[in-house]
Amino acid sequence: MVGDFFVAVGDVLSSETTYSSGWRLAVALAFVAVGEWIAERAGTINISVEGSMLAGAFASAMGYDASGSVAVGLLIGAAAGLLVGAVQAHFSHNLTANQFVVGLTLNILVLGLASFLNSSLKPETATAHVFEVPGLVEIPLLGPALFGQPWPLYLLYPLIPLAWWLVYRTRWGLEVRAVGENPQAADVSSIDVNARRRQAIYVAGVTSGLGGGYLLLGQVGWFEDAIVGGQGFIAIAAVIFGGWTLRGAMLGCLLFGSANSFRLSLPAVGHPLNSELLSSLPFVLTICVMALFAHRTREPQSLARPFIRGLR
Amino acid sequence: MTSPAAELTGITKRFGAVVACDNVDLELRRGEIHGILGENGAGKSTLMKVLIGLVLPDAGVIRIDGEPRRISDPAEAAELGIGMVHQHFSLVEPLTVWENVILGERVRLDATAAKRRVGEISERYGLAIDPDERVSDLSAGLRQRLEIIKCLRRDPAIVILDEPTSVLTPGESEQLFEVLRRVVERENKAVALVSHKLDEVLAATDRITIMRAGAVVDRRGTGDADAPGLARAMVGRPVSLRSEGAALGHIETFEDDPAVTEPAVEAAVEATEPQPVLSIRGAVARGRDGRTLLDGLSLEVRPGEIVGVAGVEGNGQAALSDLLSSLLRLESGTVRVRDTEPPPGRPGAMAAAGVAVVPADRHESGCVLDMTVEENLTLVSPPRARTGRALLDRAARALLDRAGRQAHAERLIEQFGIQTPAADAPMWSLSGGNQQRVVLARELSGDPVVLVAAQPTRGLDVGAIEYVSERLREAAASGVGVLLISTELEEVLDLADRIVVIFRGRIIGEMDRVNLDVERLGLLMSGAQEEAS
Repeated sequence: MVGDFFVAVGDVLSSETTYSSGWRLAVALAFVAVGEWIAERAGTINISVEGSMLAGAFASAMGYDASGSVAVGLLIGAAAGLLVGAVQAHFSHNLTANQFVVGLTLNILVLGLASFLNSSLKPETATAHVFEVPGLVEIPLLGPALFGQPWPLYLLYPLIPLAWWLVYRTRWGLEVRAVGENPQAADVSSIDVNARRRQAIYVAGVTSGLGGGYLLLGQVGWFEDAIVGGQGFIAIAAVIFGGWTLRGAMLGCLLFGSANSFRLSLPAVGHPLNSELLSSLPFVLTICVMALFAHRTREPQSLARPFIRGLR
Repeated sequence: MTSPAAELTGITKRFGAVVACDNVDLELRRGEIHGILGENGAGKSTLMKVLIGLVLPDAGVIRIDGEPRRISDPAEAAELGIGMVHQHFSLVEPLTVWENVILGERVRLDATAAKRRVGEISERYGLAIDPDERVSDLSAGLRQRLEIIKCLRRDPAIVILDEPTSVLTPGESEQLFEVLRRVVERENKAVALVSHKLDEVLAATDRITIMRAGAVVDRRGTGDADAPGLARAMVGRPVSLRSEGAALGHIETFEDDPAVTEPAVEAAVEATEPQPVLSIRGAVARGRDGRTLLDGLSLEVRPGEIVGVAGVEGNGQAALSDLLSSLLRLESGTVRVRDTEPPPGRPGAMAAAGVAVVPADRHESGCVLDMTVEENLTLVSPPRARTGRALLDRAARALLDRAGRQAHAERLIEQFGIQTPAADAPMWSLSGGNQQRVVLARELSGDPVVLVAAQPTRGLDVGAIEYVSERLREAAASGVGVLLISTELEEVLDLADRIVVIFRGRIIGEMDRVNLDVERLGLLMSGAQEEAS
């Protein structure tokens, strides 16, 4: 039995499809995590990314249905994600409502709305065509995974350095980091704390919407209610797992994505391990990592604390 | 004659029922350091916040260079040439020095130019600092220096400093005032120095405005002022010599006054009793982030003595107080309370062993503001029940004895002179001094063996300071071992029979009140090691 399992693992590890599917799943998470990382650096645990992702997935389906273009679909998906983010931002950083309550409500609302609209509108969709990057796709084992995928996946590649540059090399990024750490200090330095926090959430909304669009048009091909199914939350876990660094968050996405692909490919090579059990792997991993590294990582000091001028 | 750099007339600001500023006039002139003196809560900080745009006044006019202006946020103030060095550091710790300096500017981010800028300013004013260092690695003195650079980078015409020396050693404070003098003389800036320390205002300013209860009570040139006169103006009524001495920062006072020295000598005699009530040995503790909080701290308190822990803020005072409140676990070392060894960090263990704590932050951990005075007075839980009978007893008390609790609270209210409209008035409706009385009453009512008082008079007015000091002395006289943890050197000097100095989580020096050497004390507080130890 145990021997069987290792043989199966060996099969999975030597198969190109494992890497391809692992990478695809990691990319979906990474779209969300890139934006969520910025939102958290600014001081918000933005759980509405789950809703943004789902809104993005459904809106991109509608966009594709109406225009027949994947690019237009993705654009509309990003806009839908932004809309959810904007509602979250307005409620939590203008009206100072509790950010978790707002996020939770939004997630439920989007799920209900998307499900209702899907059943009544039934958008016709397809997957984007595969684009093989010449030369690079020949790399053994990893080539097809990284460079032989549906083209929306490649949008992530420039997004990561862009996010890094934005946070570490621009004034906006400096101010985002400052409001996440010490909003009072930022305030007396004449920075609009809540505006920065809102803007950071908009960014998370856009990338999550894009992530949802990628999920639909680059991976699954049709809309279903469970298409996102907690991946937004896993992306939040990846940011925490990565200790609020971009590199760490991306590594977390890769790890969780791989774990997920294992779940999908083990049965495919004929091993009967319970896939429901395996699907809990990312969460088990997060808990283990947090138990191991919790005292070493340093979260933004004002994470999840609302800023009201005059209160300390 | 040119108009003053800033002229405030008739400034009034109310927060609810409290009048923070009542028709205040103030004039800041170029080339002068203007001291604004007053007790905590006199309205000094609010007045300055009005000038910097953090608080909008209800009434009054601000003129900058003779022009009436409305300043509604710090950015506008900065444009008008007003800069402020804040009371609580306004620095973002994980960022570097240069990043903090340019925070809030509007131009493109350019690291090289920013670092050059920091270099220029530090050279111009003699404020050496490394622009690439992270703020979290800087000492309090260097952070203060960075705050000043941050303020001066825009070349303000008016510089406001709000209690700038509260976290500095005496040496660092002196340096700060030298820099201020240079700024004023060379560049003809107007400086406002907000402080509640008399000696500091007398030493560093040209002109003094004294505030009490939101209003200006006196103005004079520093040349015409003397400490006792200022103290009386600031306090507004005659106070006992001791408390006046504490407010003055006059450390010699108790040596001149035999009435004060006497009980100390008595206490010293009693203190020869060998058995300490509290003894901490080699305590080592680390924070969640791995920072060392306590680094082999050892100290002893004997019954009937007040041991003062002196030191600059942030050197382990909070950890020491947490340790004795059962909030901190030790990596090594022991705590003994009389004959027991309560395990550090187990909830309630220290309290059960007889340690009472008046925490530094009244509102955070000293009391529950939304509960009533009575509830706050009876909040302390009775000792752990060990037998079935005790358990029954306790259950009966918890369930039935509401009347008894009420009577207990009424008794304490009377005994400690707590001014409250009723026993069931909410805690937040009380003044700071009365809230502290409630905390003291609760902690002392349990007949403690050891009383830990952390910053017991912070934010209180002179009358309340006097009362708290008296209670601490009484507690010691009745045989309780008192551990006073305070960053106000005057307070420690005023109350303690024995002074120990805490630095980076350990005790690095000790002296008796009889052999007091203030200069050595100051050196110890800044970390100078003694050859002997």
